[in-house]
Amino acid sequence: MASAILRRDRLRALTLLSPAYLWLTVAIFLPLSAMVFFSVLTDVPFGDREWHLTAGNYQAFLETGTYARLLWKSLQLGATVTALSVLIGFPCAYVLAKVVRGRSREALFLLVVLPFWSNSLVRIFSWAIVLRGNGVLDRAVNAVLPWPVKLNLMYSQSAIVIGLVHSYLPYVILTSYLALQAIDDSLIEAARSLGAKRLTILRRLILPLSMPGLVAGAVLIFVPVVGSFMEPRLLGGRLGTYYGTLIEDQFVAVFNWPLGAALSFILLAVVLVILGLASPILRKARL
Amino acid sequence: MTGKVLGIVGRVYLALILFFLYAPILVMAAMSFNASEFYQLPFAYSGEWYERLWSNRAILSAAWRSIWIAFVVTGIATALGTAAAIALFRYDFPGKKVLRALLFPPIAIPWLIIGTAMLIFFFGIGLGRGTPTVIIGHVALALPYVIVIVSARLATFDATLEEAARVLGASPWQVTKRVTVPWILPGIVAGGLLAFAVSFDQFVVSYFLSEPGDATLPVLIYTSIRKGFTPEINAISTLIIAVSMSVMLLAARYSNFGGER
Amino acid sequence: MAEVRVENLTKTYGPLKALDAVTLDFRDGGFFGLLGPSGSGKTTLLRAIAGFVIPDDGRVLIGGEPVERVPVEAREIGMVFQSYALFPNMTVADNVAFGLDVRRIRGAERDRRVKDVLDLVQLGDLGQRKPHQLSGGQKQRVAMARAIVTRPRVLLLDEPLSALDKALRVEMQVELKRIQREVGITTIFVTHDQEEALTLSDEIGILRNGRLVRHGPPREVYNNPRDAFTARFLGEANLFSGSLEAGGLRLPDGALIPGATTAMVAVRPENVQVSASEPSGPIRLRAEIRRRIFAGAMGTLILDRHGEPIKAIARDSEFAELPDNGRVWLSWREGSAIPVENAPN
Repeated sequence: MASAILRRDRLRALTLLSPAYLWLTVAIFLPLSAMVFFSVLTDVPFGDREWHLTAGNYQAFLETGTYARLLWKSLQLGATVTALSVLIGFPCAYVLAKVVRGRSREALFLLVVLPFWSNSLVRIFSWAIVLRGNGVLDRAVNAVLPWPVKLNLMYSQSAIVIGLVHSYLPYVILTSYLALQAIDDSLIEAARSLGAKRLTILRRLILPLSMPGLVAGAVLIFVPVVGSFMEPRLLGGRLGTYYGTLIEDQFVAVFNWPLGAALSFILLAVVLVILGLASPILRKARL
Repeated sequence: MTGKVLGIVGRVYLALILFFLYAPILVMAAMSFNASEFYQLPFAYSGEWYERLWSNRAILSAAWRSIWIAFVVTGIATALGTAAAIALFRYDFPGKKVLRALLFPPIAIPWLIIGTAMLIFFFGIGLGRGTPTVIIGHVALALPYVIVIVSARLATFDATLEEAARVLGASPWQVTKRVTVPWILPGIVAGGLLAFAVSFDQFVVSYFLSEPGDATLPVLIYTSIRKGFTPEINAISTLIIAVSMSVMLLAARYSNFGGER
Repeated sequence: MAEVRVENLTKTYGPLKALDAVTLDFRDGGFFGLLGPSGSGKTTLLRAIAGFVIPDDGRVLIGGEPVERVPVEAREIGMVFQSYALFPNMTVADNVAFGLDVRRIRGAERDRRVKDVLDLVQLGDLGQRKPHQLSGGQKQRVAMARAIVTRPRVLLLDEPLSALDKALRVEMQVELKRIQREVGITTIFVTHDQEEALTLSDEIGILRNGRLVRHGPPREVYNNPRDAFTARFLGEANLFSGSLEAGGLRLPDGALIPGATTAMVAVRPENVQVSASEPSGPIRLRAEIRRRIFAGAMGTLILDRHGEPIKAIARDSEFAELPDNGRVWLSWREGSAIPVENAPN
């Protein structure tokens, strides 16, 4: 009797769950597996093309050096963008969570995270408009400074970093804000009553307690930046060759899908290692 | 530093951050109303670029495609996601934790990897590229967000309400329709709006999955930018950012994702 | 160790006067309980002494020296918070040592003082635990240890026991008093629990709407509350008011309370005697029994006198011979009727 009810409940749960999870399986998990399979082929298995299994695509990554160098370049880009975002974003989150009081806080918080949820391509394009030679930024700087300056930021490493920080900064603000807000004000008052000054409180209390949120934000920035291709493409011009654009090229320009799949899979492995390392802290952050 | 000084410095800092976040968007929007084709200053007002949009068939059809795809994706993802969230909330069964954990990879793995993997797979099974494939991909990307947001709303739902309704003789379906869904409606609306935004703003996955002939709006913009900037792109970009920010403001009204309760 | 004095302390939040010209002395080494209903300003007063609340007007003196301009961290205070506010990222020992670290007390001196204070609060062997591994009572002890290890001039306690269940609270009251005696530190504590205040304090102060209504040793304040609010707030009181005559207080129904010198008197429930037969003394009032509440050894009787409820408390056995309802006689010993002023609002 009891087991009949239990069985009926299980059936109901299955009915409600299976559409969503079947969809995720077909559109995410099977494709990821297919990518692994593709990465060990000599050619795409479509039509009457000849193909057989090979480790050549991975060998190419190890031997060519160019690919590994690009991955390293992308990892460096990820580190730079992440570090800048953390340095800029954490103080902002602190001000929002612990300095601003009352109703304006919620509105300001919404304003800060709103761009994050809007179209990222368009936001990168807006930087192209601002940074281009003789563009708005050049003119603004020249209007303020008495001597002529040529900034020429467009199509440079700096342009890419600025655009990416702009894209992902709200992420670290969001996660740090949540962590900082969870710190009870009475803890800070207790520290002050014990004689601690602001810097001591920051170092011994606020930073350790908000670390999970900070790390979560950093990981959630680092991972997509390493895989970015649209931003370097648009803001970096000829300098904008990164691991992401390399993968893009395999699929839309060179049409070497097996190599692209292998490169993608290597990136996925890197991402999974990072997520795995960070997962104890991410779980603490309870996002 | 006293509290007052910190307050002032903090607010100035916040203002600088907001300037950094919004200034480029505002510049871009302003340039869409500038008469000069080469973004020359001084600024001279012109509505020409918006008028030109109306006669640009490629942009119009891409915009229309993006909008209806977003609606279809919203419908499917909201329905499937809500059903899954209710099941995860209501029933206990082995493997539930695994199912919840499975929502994380689609959110955390870069879209570049997911997009190329989808391209390979859908080509491999003979579906190829095109609008149906784009919809399948978008729904998969939106589903985890819907499930997470509706689940968050469900977490505020008192499960004894369902039990009380059962005791009063309501069938599970009646309980869902008359007790559970009305309570979580704000979560469903917020999840739906987010699904809309994920699809409407989606570039990476659409880029790999759409046929060159029928691109979505962001894909069309990307390929146009790579050929060269025109104020027309500013105009359509301004419209896009206006739409996506309004959608997100609406979503924020219905749920405080990331905000305080 | 130092005495604390507040003078004319005033703080307003918009239209609300949280503190209204409060002047009060806290004796060196004394244990002072601040009592009052919620919103009475007791916590604001404590936080003003700590330095978290900046008063609009008035002065705070610790050890004779004005501290209004001294920030919290330089006031040399110890504070125990309602939620304990233990730092979750540090061990018990590190929590306790925090104030020493800030003062750059290091090495053997630091370790010795941490050990001594943990022994004092009887937590000697829990130094390496994290706060989330402690029970409520243990957290309370850590919070105390942390607050006193720096040898502050004054110890401020904000509802320190309210998060504990009743049995533990009584146990911790004894502990708190013992620790305070051993350290001999001036202690000011806020509570809404009047029994706790009476048990612990050498002196109490009662606040209402930001004003100090009454202060003094607990027994004195209890026995002579002076005004109706204090009488009712501290313990329970039956109030009788009428018009003053030569012979005493004439109640509206014509009964006389002889010997009264004010238009209102308060009688504690434990002093009200209830009898079925007419008492012989000069005080004789009639009332009807409404309800008898049994609570173990003690019993409570709710009576009604012309619509006014009256409460009497005695050993339950004393109520045994009374009828379950019906008219009875009330009386009390002369001197049990405390003259009080009607409380101004």
